[in-house]
Amino acid sequence: MRQMKRLLDVYVALQALFALSWCFTDADPGPAVGSQSNGERFKIEGRAIVPGVKTQDWVSTARILVEGEEYVGFVKTDGSFAVNDVPSGSYVVEIVSPSFRFDPVRVDITSKGKMRARLVNYIKTSEVLRQPYPLQIRSSGPHTYFMKRETWGWTDFLMNPMVMMMVLPLLIIVLLPKVVNTNDPEMRKEMEQSMNMLNPNPELPDVSEFMTKLFSKGSSKAGGGNKGSRSVALKRR
Amino acid sequence: MAWLVVRLAISVSLFYTASAVFEDQVGKFDWRQQFIGKVRFALFDTHSQASKKLLVATDKNVFASLNSRTGDLFWRHVDKTGPEGHIDALLMYGQDAVVVAGNGRLLRSWETTVGGLKWETVLDTGSFQAAALVGVQDFVKYVAVLKKSAISLHDLSSGSQIWVENLPDSDTVQYQTIYSGGNGLVFVFGVVPNSHIVIVEYKIEDGEIMNKKSVEAAWMSSLESSCTVISSGILLCVDQITQSLYTLLLQSAEQTEMRQIHLQTLDLEVASGFQPVLTSTQPNPAQPPLSEFFLQLSPDHHILLQLKDGLIVPLRDFNPSYLAAFATSGERTVAAVMSPKNDTACSINLFSADTGRRHLDTTIIYHMDPNGGKPNRLYVHAFLKKDDSVGYRVMVQTEDLTLTFLQQPGRVVWMREEALADVVTMEMIDLPFTGTQAELEGEFGKKADGLLPMVLKRLSSQFILLQAWLAHLWKLFYDARKPRSSVKNEVNIDTLSRDEFNLQKMMVMVTASGKLFGIDSKSGTILWKQYLENIEPNSVFKLIVQRTTAHFPHPPQCTLLIKNKDTGLGNLYVFNPIFGKKSQISVPALPRPVLQTLLLPVIDQDYAKVLLLIDDQYKVTTFPSTKNILQQLQDTASSIFFYLVDSSQGKLSGFRLRKDLSTELIWEVVIPTEVQKIVAVKGKRANEHVHSQGRVMGDRSVLYKYLNPNLLAVITESTDTHHERSFVGIFLIDGVTGRIVHEAVQRKAKGPVHFVHSENWVVYVYWNSKFRRNEFSVLELFEGAELYNSTVFSSLDRPHPPQVLQQSYIFPAPISTLEATLTEKGITSRHLLVGLPSGNILSLPKMFLDPRRPEVVSEQSREENLIPYAPEMPIRDEWFINYNQTVSRVRGIHTAPSGLESTCLVVAYGLDIYQTRVFPSKQFDVLKDDYDYVLISSVLFGLFFATMISKRLAEVKLLNRAWR
Repeated sequence: MRQMKRLLDVYVALQALFALSWCFTDADPGPAVGSQSNGERFKIEGRAIVPGVKTQDWVSTARILVEGEEYVGFVKTDGSFAVNDVPSGSYVVEIVSPSFRFDPVRVDITSKGKMRARLVNYIKTSEVLRQPYPLQIRSSGPHTYFMKRETWGWTDFLMNPMVMMMVLPLLIIVLLPKVVNTNDPEMRKEMEQSMNMLNPNPELPDVSEFMTKLFSKGSSKAGGGNKGSRSVALKRR
Repeated sequence: MAWLVVRLAISVSLFYTASAVFEDQVGKFDWRQQFIGKVRFALFDTHSQASKKLLVATDKNVFASLNSRTGDLFWRHVDKTGPEGHIDALLMYGQDAVVVAGNGRLLRSWETTVGGLKWETVLDTGSFQAAALVGVQDFVKYVAVLKKSAISLHDLSSGSQIWVENLPDSDTVQYQTIYSGGNGLVFVFGVVPNSHIVIVEYKIEDGEIMNKKSVEAAWMSSLESSCTVISSGILLCVDQITQSLYTLLLQSAEQTEMRQIHLQTLDLEVASGFQPVLTSTQPNPAQPPLSEFFLQLSPDHHILLQLKDGLIVPLRDFNPSYLAAFATSGERTVAAVMSPKNDTACSINLFSADTGRRHLDTTIIYHMDPNGGKPNRLYVHAFLKKDDSVGYRVMVQTEDLTLTFLQQPGRVVWMREEALADVVTMEMIDLPFTGTQAELEGEFGKKADGLLPMVLKRLSSQFILLQAWLAHLWKLFYDARKPRSSVKNEVNIDTLSRDEFNLQKMMVMVTASGKLFGIDSKSGTILWKQYLENIEPNSVFKLIVQRTTAHFPHPPQCTLLIKNKDTGLGNLYVFNPIFGKKSQISVPALPRPVLQTLLLPVIDQDYAKVLLLIDDQYKVTTFPSTKNILQQLQDTASSIFFYLVDSSQGKLSGFRLRKDLSTELIWEVVIPTEVQKIVAVKGKRANEHVHSQGRVMGDRSVLYKYLNPNLLAVITESTDTHHERSFVGIFLIDGVTGRIVHEAVQRKAKGPVHFVHSENWVVYVYWNSKFRRNEFSVLELFEGAELYNSTVFSSLDRPHPPQVLQQSYIFPAPISTLEATLTEKGITSRHLLVGLPSGNILSLPKMFLDPRRPEVVSEQSREENLIPYAPEMPIRDEWFINYNQTVSRVRGIHTAPSGLESTCLVVAYGLDIYQTRVFPSKQFDVLKDDYDYVLISSVLFGLFFATMISKRLAEVKLLNRAWR
């Protein structure tokens, strides 16, 4: 729970930072998309980078899509690209590749041909978080198309808190009476003595009550673990 | 904090609803086929002998590299659709391919081994005429591009422009072709129709005009295809009217008019009405072309001619011959000619270009598909064999866009059905039962003929079943012993039968070129194909399933409404969708254009559903039109309604059928065309089932759905396209009464609108022009807490208007198409399948598009499992049902139910075809793929033995106790 709270704190701090940055950047909306361009066409340029992968392994399947398929560009063998004949306006530029994921970028082109790139934010559309222009789009890794199968192993099974919770009390219940022969009156006396030694308070409840106490404590602990396990299970689904 | 809770809630709900693919399921029940379209340019890589590359550019604006040994794609680049991505020319030199695209706007050079772009240059505007490689001193260095009014020269290695020159008198002269013979000059040919030819000479170094002359040619209207350059700079033209060839020496100052050679002197004649075609070859762009050329005199007559010492000599006459082409390997140039052999086959032979002599043992037999079209293009790949003789392979393209790659002596190396790059509409048909199953079915259909025979028949059919089962077991056992790779399920049209869950179906696909395909949905194998000639390409087709496979022994029946190329009228083509055979049933003639088709649930004695065709005079034609049908129609006529849409007048009108099969206008809704136009009208799908009548709310009351089967969703777009004033409208109109049930307008929105209308909801997507984003909007209709008439729905008797709930969401990606999943009984939760321009297909749970998603989470909404409202729709990689098997330019998604309630069959088509299955609520009715048989059996056995042992131990203990 404490960890959770800390996470929250971080989140709040982040949000504050975010708000701060938002205050500082001028919140001017991009040029209107429908502004009648006087036929002048511009070029969106940039470079796509997939860290650790040679360009020839992915350029043949990648494409640059500007605002859906409105304008299409191709990637050069060195990873750079250019989309020609784009009139002034505001566009979402996206690199699509079946194997690597790239984040889209919004590019604003004024009627004079000035360019700027910013993060895509569909909710606060006028927010400006500048990105470098000419675009530098770095892949955030390969697509994760597949779900992981829930695998089954003995360790998973045994380390499951539910199983642990079941097995441990079982051991205690089954083994404890075996180890300590309660039928022997001498032994019992000895045990009682030792109990009294441990707890100087003579009004302390007997062994059975002690056991239940122990169990309830264990179960509350296990309950916490249980919650965790459920969330794990949920994630697996 | 609340935001976090919402996020958490969403992410939790995602885990419940996600329908993703597991990695081990790849290729298990899905397949993809990639296409390129109709080939316009094809070049074989002759750079090295071992090269397998075949570069193609197609009418679908696709530039691709094929493996010429297998026909598979090495890589493929899909440009923008329309004229801006149109590929004008494809040139190849060495490892580089130069492409002119977008009406001469872009000049691109591709590195062909990697498939990456080398350089790209933007050219000046102007309509494209021609492009050519230009060589200097045996070395190709430049590429020249001819526009309507300018010529430019570009460096081949960097794309940089060397020079650009305006063409003289470009307003009167039509410059059409370009030629360079490697002598430092570029020739540009232009024509003033029926007057003269203009020839301009440019110097390669700086673009200086060296010479300009005009030559009388009153007979000439166009240079293209009727003129070519042969030998060391001789312009050769052919004219049909004067029946003559004309030659002109380019680099001579003296010759001021073209020399005429009558074809009669060569004993030749051009077929009347045929525009003769000249074909020459220039093996190396840095050297002048050969002096041999083909002259096509009629559609099936070619002749190989040679220009020698100013004289034209016929080398060989090919009569009849369909196609002819030149090919070069090394220093040797050959000509391949296709001539008819018999009715079903053609033979292709190789001739040496300089002598016209036939090469021995070079015949390739090409078998024409009886259900296909005629061959219309021939591409030849010549290569030198080890013994220095010329070998060759050919690629033949036919009218129905089949690419066949052949090698000697007629072995088909591979085949591509490029018509499938443009699927217009499709249906999925259940496969028939096997023979034994059908026999069993047949038993029930027959009339009883006594007790004993029936018992005997029963027993015999049971015996047949037993036999079939044993045979099946034996086959399983037999297959299991063989190595896995050798067990290949050969799909064959004769062995096709329905599987136990009806997961395998026949996909009937109708393509824009007029070719029909029957494809096995499990493997993607084409089982039958039929090319329909006389069809207007790219017209609207309507495919109707009149009888399914359920009515044995009647064969299934599909009807296709097609438009005849010559008459422009509608025509019915009736066929068996399983075997692709044309049915012998007589079809009614349709003398007038058909406005609307209507498939009625009325069934004739042969179990075929009745099709009503309404023509432009509102007359009704029925098919089939037996007496039985007409009688049934008379009885039910008063309850048959239909609607017509006239988007040019903005009119939506409803009609009723009268007893005498005339029609009666009963309502009309006019949407003024000055303000908005009707873009699309959609009803619900006829094969859709709704399982639950209502939704249980958090307080245990029921909210009943408004399930009107006659509801039409009408989408309109404003005629004003200004981004401040444009809007998208949606009308929900009852198709029987014409009542407008609901009306909604999205301001500052524009199309294209994609929408799905199903159950009690409509989901539509539009472009929000104010915020520049795509938005989903969902409309859900409810009757309220009480149902007015729970037994039957009648549009005429529904006094209460439905409650309409609406909610909108931001969708963070552009959209190509939209469809909803469909299952057998409608129990499974619905998903929306969204085709994205990136080629992915997103499976979006309908749960996210629920107008009852609360802004503030309450106990009740949690009880109902509603996801808290969030403005932005999530997109996750796991939801892409086609993982990396992207479908380019996805245009449509077809969904069909399978025999399993959990499973919906999905086919996405566009440039590619992708088939898969989706499980919107997971596979709840079959064991999962990863079901752990080992674990469950080991646990069972373990428990069994544990009981046995403990039983034994208990017995021993009891015995011991008894002894004590």
